[in-house]
Amino acid sequence: MRISPARRAAIERMSLTLLVLISAVMIIIGKADQVAFQSLRNSLMDAAAPALEMLSRPPAALDAAAGRVRGFITVYRDNLRLAEENERLLGWQQVAMRLSAENAELRDLSKLVSEPAISFVTARVIADSGGAYARSVMVNAGRDNGVARGQAAMTGEGLVGRVAEVGSRAARILLITDLNSRVPVVVDGTRQRAILAGDNSARPSLRYVDAGGTMRIGDRIVTSGQGGVFPPGLPVGIVASVDTEGARVEPYATLSRVDYLRLVDYGLAEALPNPLSVAARGGKRAESGVGGPPTLRR
Amino acid sequence: MINVLPIATTMLAALLSIEPLHLDGYAALTPAFTLMATYYWTIYRPDLLSAPLLFLIGTIQDLLSGGLPGETAVTLLLARAILLPQRHYFVDRPFPFIWAGFTLLTGGAVLFSWALHSLLAAELLDLRGPVLRAVLTISAFPIASFLLGRSQRALIGAD
Repeated sequence: MRISPARRAAIERMSLTLLVLISAVMIIIGKADQVAFQSLRNSLMDAAAPALEMLSRPPAALDAAAGRVRGFITVYRDNLRLAEENERLLGWQQVAMRLSAENAELRDLSKLVSEPAISFVTARVIADSGGAYARSVMVNAGRDNGVARGQAAMTGEGLVGRVAEVGSRAARILLITDLNSRVPVVVDGTRQRAILAGDNSARPSLRYVDAGGTMRIGDRIVTSGQGGVFPPGLPVGIVASVDTEGARVEPYATLSRVDYLRLVDYGLAEALPNPLSVAARGGKRAESGVGGPPTLRR
Repeated sequence: MINVLPIATTMLAALLSIEPLHLDGYAALTPAFTLMATYYWTIYRPDLLSAPLLFLIGTIQDLLSGGLPGETAVTLLLARAILLPQRHYFVDRPFPFIWAGFTLLTGGAVLFSWALHSLLAAELLDLRGPVLRAVLTISAFPIASFLLGRSQRALIGAD
């Protein structure tokens, strides 16, 4: 059956209008209720993971090859640097061993409850957010591998983000630079607390700094453990700039290109509030979970 | 069977948009590949890439990228809505003319997405990243157009 051109144009106009309207409604729902599309996202993530994993292999192999070539060029200089660094680290190893023994002794004396065992999964990044308005990555490990919401995503250098969505074989990591990321932090070695708030720029800002507190460039920022999502003391970054609008933190981890991530289970994942809770639906971020850091329980 | 080429290439473009390339800062500046495919096929074979398909591919991309669901879909649909009545100006025109059209479309798409996110965040967001992304998208278009053109000629031919 042939449809007349005029009729076809009318159908086209109608379907376009209808679909644009549906998309607009999706945008509003997606903004108002962050979990509205979660189960759909998770299933789609699982379905697409094998294809994304395959697609992400050639660039990863190219990157590895480029790294090897660079390695050949700099091998002599690297060797000198590493020999010197090794000597220095051997000294630190002695210090660490002495402190570790002393620490064990003191823990024994004070009858401190031992920290929960830490386990981790290493996963490869198979997709990123590809846009200017979100900072997240997808990794090729999910519930089947022991990944759970709220786990900390780390590189060797420091905190990268947290597991925000989990499928059975893939998970999404919300980076600490994302507009929606809020991490309770503290200046290392002090009681100076703040919230590290992402704004999609490379350097997240410090908000809600304690009254009277000051931040200085070079201050080490670590997680405070408040809220119970992350354990205290995970390295985050250093204060890179301070101006009238506040301080900004340069993360230790290179967030603009992460290849492999360690998803660490500190036994706290349960502390992340259920996304369906009233607080989350009202648009407020749930920053206070249940209980304090486990090391403080006696 | 070969008529699925527009769908397949646009879907591939959606997956390429979230492909990690191991380059510093690439994620935020990834060219809008899906927009390129949509532009190309809406000009040459709009019958093979209908509005419902654009909606579906755009939504899949949004859900996979962790972005705002509906954003890419609405952008692609609006691009089609604007382009479809004008497509006869573009068919059989020299490439610079087509490229100029794409430049206008990309500019509009980037401004639209910036306005949308600024509205939702209730503040004026930084426009530098999106402008750079638009420049990369426009620069990458000739390659995409060449590849799509070759595959079209090899597999389906013109309308």
